[in-house]
Amino acid sequence: MSSFSTWDVIRNLLLSLPWTLFLSAIAFLGGIVLGLVLLILRIMRPNSLGRLITWYVQLFQGTPLLMQLFLTYFGLALLGFNPSPLLAATLCLSFYASAFLTETWHGCVMSIPKGQWEASSSLALNLREQLRYVIFPQALRISVPPTVGLLVQIIKNTSLASVIGFIELTRTGQIITNVTYDPFFVYGTVALMYFALCFPFSMWGRTLERKFDVGH
Amino acid sequence: MKVLDFSDVITAWPLFISGFFMTCFLTLASCLLGTLLGTLCAWVRLQGPSLLKLIVAAYVELFRNTPFIIQIFFIFFGLASAGFKMGAIVASLVALTLNLGAYACEIVRAGIQATPKGQVEAAQSLALNRWQIFTRVMVAPGLARVWPALVSQLVIMMLATSVCSQISAEEISYSANFVAGKTFRSFESFMVVTACYLVIAIFFRKLLLWVGPRFIFGRMKF
Amino acid sequence: MNKHSSGLVEIRGLQKSFGTLQVLKGIDLSVGRKEVVCIIGKSGSGKSTLLRCINGLEVFQSGELLVDGVPVKSSDPNAMRALRQKVGMVFQSFNLFPAMSVGNNIMLAPKLVKNMSPGDAKLLAEKLLTRVGLTEKFDSFPHELSGGQQQRVAIARALAMNPEVILCDEITSALDPELVGEVLQVIEALAREGVTLIIVTHEMNFARKVCDRVVFMHQGLVHEVGTAEDIFTSPKTPELRNFISVNHGQRELV
Ligand SMILES: Nc1ncnc2c1ncn2[C@@H]1O[C@H](COP(=O)(O)OP(=O)(O)OP(=O)(O)O)[C@@H](O)[C@H]1O
Ligand SMILES: [Mg+2]
Repeated sequence: MSSFSTWDVIRNLLLSLPWTLFLSAIAFLGGIVLGLVLLILRIMRPNSLGRLITWYVQLFQGTPLLMQLFLTYFGLALLGFNPSPLLAATLCLSFYASAFLTETWHGCVMSIPKGQWEASSSLALNLREQLRYVIFPQALRISVPPTVGLLVQIIKNTSLASVIGFIELTRTGQIITNVTYDPFFVYGTVALMYFALCFPFSMWGRTLERKFDVGH
Repeated sequence: MKVLDFSDVITAWPLFISGFFMTCFLTLASCLLGTLLGTLCAWVRLQGPSLLKLIVAAYVELFRNTPFIIQIFFIFFGLASAGFKMGAIVASLVALTLNLGAYACEIVRAGIQATPKGQVEAAQSLALNRWQIFTRVMVAPGLARVWPALVSQLVIMMLATSVCSQISAEEISYSANFVAGKTFRSFESFMVVTACYLVIAIFFRKLLLWVGPRFIFGRMKF
Repeated sequence: MNKHSSGLVEIRGLQKSFGTLQVLKGIDLSVGRKEVVCIIGKSGSGKSTLLRCINGLEVFQSGELLVDGVPVKSSDPNAMRALRQKVGMVFQSFNLFPAMSVGNNIMLAPKLVKNMSPGDAKLLAEKLLTRVGLTEKFDSFPHELSGGQQQRVAIARALAMNPEVILCDEITSALDPELVGEVLQVIEALAREGVTLIIVTHEMNFARKVCDRVVFMHQGLVHEVGTAEDIFTSPKTPELRNFISVNHGQRELV
């Protein structure tokens, strides 16, 4: 067939794995920072900015990530940037992650009983103090399991960055397949690698969920 | 050249229309099949024979922890090279169904597990058999309990059909790619299709939330 | 006994609606310094709503509400912060902060709002815990306490701001019967020490025992006001007579 041995395939796939990890990490961290900012704005200004942020979330949750990636890539070109897959993928995935994270966390904040807001209001705390000392510590606790769940989604979704030419695990699999003509083995191996990456996080998330369920 | 110019893209509307119908077909078919598969798997995981339980658990974990694009590549390219040749549409349907089945299994299972014990005992005392109890007393109310979560998953599934364009299934993202390549108006083309998805997603979610209580699990309150 | 000379809480023509439902239809009430006022009345008569207007948890539409001579203005955050330092509240459902120890629950607001030093705040919290009979519980967490103990912590938490008046909204309704007494004893002690209290309660015997004045609310209005003796032994209106006969001897004080 070709000069690619089984070991060559696996070695090349493994070498591309850091790019998948890198993209996941950037998207997750970017998403956390931006998501947190959006969360705070949404709580502080529920009517004006809050409405806008709800639309932002709807936009990202109501359209395919694939389209978002294309739009970011070609949109950057339109704005006069040299569209590098790296820039487009990290930007787009960070925005995407921020929308999902902010929505999830907003749900957690809203699920804190009304009495907690009222009690802290009655003690003359202002909104900033209420959030910082009373609401966020409680919301943080319940937000950990779904946040871990989102991390898994993000890792899996970095695979779509392959379509705009970002060379990570999936794209490497495609390239190798074009050489070896053995998609069964290559994609099977790629799948197992993703599984090895995601499954531990999934398990961890589930353990946390169970622990918190029992805790309260 | 204008910065944004939709004229060439709009001219290609027949392509978008046919892509739209394919997207709808893929979505509806895989939603039905996937929910059915998910419910069956939920039954296996709750009451099935233990070997089958293990197999289903492995299937669910495998599909929930790998990207959809790899699943569809494996099914379309990988299985073909191993002798199972499928067209792009069939491969898409298989991949979408298997993917949704794995997620639906967990959602439906959670709904069924929340069945109050008294309900089952009441049914048992009325001499219903295991299958009757499962379908009448556990599945319908269970679905009703998790319907919002299931609807979210179905919308995610609808959006995931866009990935089928990567194996040349001619749905609406494929149309977008095709028009983008032909007119060199990539941004405009993807923008139009993204807007379509947004409308479909909003409408689809509304439709499901409306349909569920009326036709799928009767008029029950939880 | 010149208790009611200056009105600490002055309410005139207070009206409040939720959408189209008018809940308060023009309340007039004046509560003096060191006075203990109980509010009784049927469910839905607007007792909680009135109480929550006093510390700005609810926004009212018309009328006047003054605390210590200052009008309540819910649109002004600074005014609200000042108001809430003067008005403490104890809730039916305790609403302790679950992620904080008992001590931190009490010290939080003095440290943040009154800029009290950690050392002073700790001394204050210990003193207040002793006052409500929970000296040992400084480092416990809310979920480790019984309902009655949690409610006593909530009272200490309200006291920590050294408010001019404390509002209590059915603070024993969520408690098991055997725990009601310990909470009411704390409130009774506060009343004796001269803390101004406005108490919504269904405990008629308690109202009779500690209140200077009893306010009977009916359909969003103050229907009858008088000393506990007057209200319970010689009610003037048929509505109050009916209310008392229905509620009489329901739950005896422990
Ligand atoms: N947030 C709200 N939105 C709409 N209606 C409300 C709200 N809060 C209270 N109400 C209505 O206002 C009326 C008075 O309520 P309120 O809680 O003040 O009564 P209450 O006298 O405290 O009754 P209870 O003894 O049951 O506590 C009720 O009819 C209630 O349904
Ligand atoms: Mg009330």
